Amino acid sequence: MIHETKAELPLAGIRVVDVATVIAAPHCATVLGEFGAEVLKVEHPLGGDALRRFGTPTRRQGDTLTWLSEARNKKSVTIDLHRREGVDLFKKLIEKSDILCENFRPGTLEKWGLGWEVLHAINPGLIMLRVTGYGQYGPYKDRPGFARIAHAVGGIAYLAGMPKGRPVTPGSTTLGDYLTGLYGCIGVLMALRYRERTGRGQYVDAALYESVFRCTDELVPIYGMYGIVRERHGPNHNEFECPHGHFPTKDGKWVAIACATDKLFGRLAMAMERPELASSSTYGDQKTRLENCHDVNEIVRDWCGSLTRDEVLERCYATGAPAGPLNNIADIFGDRQFHARRNLVAIDEEETGETIIVPCTIPKLSETPGKISHLGPKLGEHTADVLKDLLGMDDCQIDELRNKYVI
Amino acid sequence: MTSMEQHPGDASVTDDGQQGDDIQIDQSRHNDSPPQTEKLPMSGVRIIDVGTFLAGPYAASILGEFGAEILKVEHPIAGDPMRRFGTPTKRHDATLAWLSEGRNRKSVTIDLRQKEGVQIFLKLVANSDVLIENFRPGTMEEWGLGWRELSGANPGLVMLRVSGYGQTGPYRRRSGFAHIAHAFGGLSYLAGFPGETPVLPGTTPLGDYMSSLYGAIGIMLALRHREKTGRGQVIDIATYEAVFRHLDEIAAAYGLFGKIREREGVGSFVAVPHGHFRTRDDKWIAIACTTDKMFERLAEAMERPELASTTLYGEQRKRLAARDVVNQIVIEWVGSLTREDVLNRCLEKEVPVGKVNSIADIFEDEHFQARGNLVRVEQEGLGEVVVPNVIPTLSETPGRITDLGPPLGNATYEVMRELLGISPDEIRQLRQRKII
Repeated sequence: MIHETKAELPLAGIRVVDVATVIAAPHCATVLGEFGAEVLKVEHPLGGDALRRFGTPTRRQGDTLTWLSEARNKKSVTIDLHRREGVDLFKKLIEKSDILCENFRPGTLEKWGLGWEVLHAINPGLIMLRVTGYGQYGPYKDRPGFARIAHAVGGIAYLAGMPKGRPVTPGSTTLGDYLTGLYGCIGVLMALRYRERTGRGQYVDAALYESVFRCTDELVPIYGMYGIVRERHGPNHNEFECPHGHFPTKDGKWVAIACATDKLFGRLAMAMERPELASSSTYGDQKTRLENCHDVNEIVRDWCGSLTRDEVLERCYATGAPAGPLNNIADIFGDRQFHARRNLVAIDEEETGETIIVPCTIPKLSETPGKISHLGPKLGEHTADVLKDLLGMDDCQIDELRNKYVI
Repeated sequence: MTSMEQHPGDASVTDDGQQGDDIQIDQSRHNDSPPQTEKLPMSGVRIIDVGTFLAGPYAASILGEFGAEILKVEHPIAGDPMRRFGTPTKRHDATLAWLSEGRNRKSVTIDLRQKEGVQIFLKLVANSDVLIENFRPGTMEEWGLGWRELSGANPGLVMLRVSGYGQTGPYRRRSGFAHIAHAFGGLSYLAGFPGETPVLPGTTPLGDYMSSLYGAIGIMLALRHREKTGRGQVIDIATYEAVFRHLDEIAAAYGLFGKIREREGVGSFVAVPHGHFRTRDDKWIAIACTTDKMFERLAEAMERPELASTTLYGEQRKRLAARDVVNQIVIEWVGSLTREDVLNRCLEKEVPVGKVNSIADIFEDEHFQARGNLVRVEQEGLGEVVVPNVIPTLSETPGRITDLGPPLGNATYEVMRELLGISPDEIRQLRQRKII
């Protein structure tokens, strides 16, 4: 246990079946698990979730660091859904569960006889999260979807990169997966609340591209009203505010500075020891700064380039100007705030002797903080326990299923 | 755009010296629940959103889309600075960003820098379920609106506190915006070409949306706990934490192997080819061959099935080792065709592929239309405003947009009169003294 739990967690008593793969829908189950739900990760008996092979391998055969971190708190139960006996077993599991997370291409579960109608009949209170690249309906629903594609389709890949240059990855290829997991989680919690009032379950339909597209401030209405197409901005986004960007420092590092208001620019001018820049006759108001953003950026760039990163930041913090370092992961490990907030948690893997450092649970709840009880389980680690305790099967039956590779 | 600033409208407000009068409350109006006219999951829940910009307020937007009543408490003169952020419209108190992201709210003006304003606010808190704020940590405490006072007024209160760096830790008082959080949380370092200028990770307020999503989840969890125990609690989320949480194995890989992830340009460290490619007609397309099977399909689409043989690039390991060679083959193939051609050939073989859409592409796209992702809302005096629709889609209780961002103070009278039972005379006085 990482946290000492003060009260029973909000989702204690809720059982989630996570039959999804990689990060998107599973991240919903991860968050639910951190706050007390029991998460049964149902995987194919051979190979399991593809996330086990995504990223950097560990000493534990077949399981990468991404798996260990992101499959936290889950119990692995192997069932082959391509087999009729596997399907029967899965239905029994659904009968005893509250939530199902899946992200197969639309029609796949239906093909196995596990569509919404069937599952809803078995368990009328079931809440089903369905995550796909494009959603359960619409002309592209059958196309394969990954976060990379969702970033492109949803409009944020187009915006990342130097003006007129190649659109780059917006920092990480997995953003759309996490975002969709969060929207899915919100949908599931809403549905759970509604079920408690009415007894009725429902399904949540989330598309990867939609989550990305939703996070684009006024990109949509500005095109709708004025036909303005936002382009790539490189390191400086001077559509609404200036300065707002990344600036190199003397020691070859980078700082981020963002002056959303005139008051904040005033503080930056103070930090630069050039208060006259913030007067009404120079660059005191946002409109003037935006009109002269090339000059303003130049002034800020010159100042940053004359100091080390730490010097720039110290001066900005002293006057309350909004600035921060462009941290790499080594910077983050050394940072006092990350330490004080306990954002990094080290967990020993006893079998392999490796210490795995992973991001801790967020958000922080004062009464019922989340917890990490263990990292990603071994494939099938909990199959026998779950079949015995939950479905009341005996060793004999379990052995038989194992011998037939159903589990 | 996370605002860690002081209360909106730093211009000092004149005080006529008549502070301290107790506001008369019509007791019969206490504990009024919001109307439960709809069968939405959040109906019956009242949320006060005293935040500014997006980080935090967006959590209220989502809960409002699913039926919660949202009271946006704003400074009587300046209102939420989001009203001035972005592209102006004919309405003097609303940019397009405000119209879209201020959706489904009632605006109630209260000056929290005046003692009477604080008293009215506490009464509102006593009649609400959730409070959302994003001032710089310590600001609400300075106004006498810390957790002690608030939970005293309402022991079941659920309070979401979003800030740049969180409520604790050495940097908690620093001003933070999403742009800074992207940098501090480790995302900005990764965007751009290796060794070159780090660019913005696509959209400026990404971190604001992310922290709000975690905030909304925290609120739902806390409401559930409250229903079981009657006890409220505080949810503390830093914008940088939400950003940092989304970087897959970056922490684990540094922790175990000391590996520092650098900028990857258009690619990805886990798979090849996995990036953006320019087409003959000077457009861009995204291709993601996460698995060997996907690459095999791409090789077929390229009519070069031999590329996927085990002796060539059939395995991810080999493609990663020959990253430049493999990418060059794809660059040349894509560059020889129009975007439509590449798309159709890839789709036929089920290769994961997509246009790198601009917003103009999105408006034309048949899938966006079929999913109802763009919703056109008629606004008086402005004509049609197009905004992103509600997500996710719930089968039984779909969310909805009832209004776009409200005019400043459009519900002040209604809330003072009907919810708090303040007499019309007193409301007039409070208005004159610019307390509301």
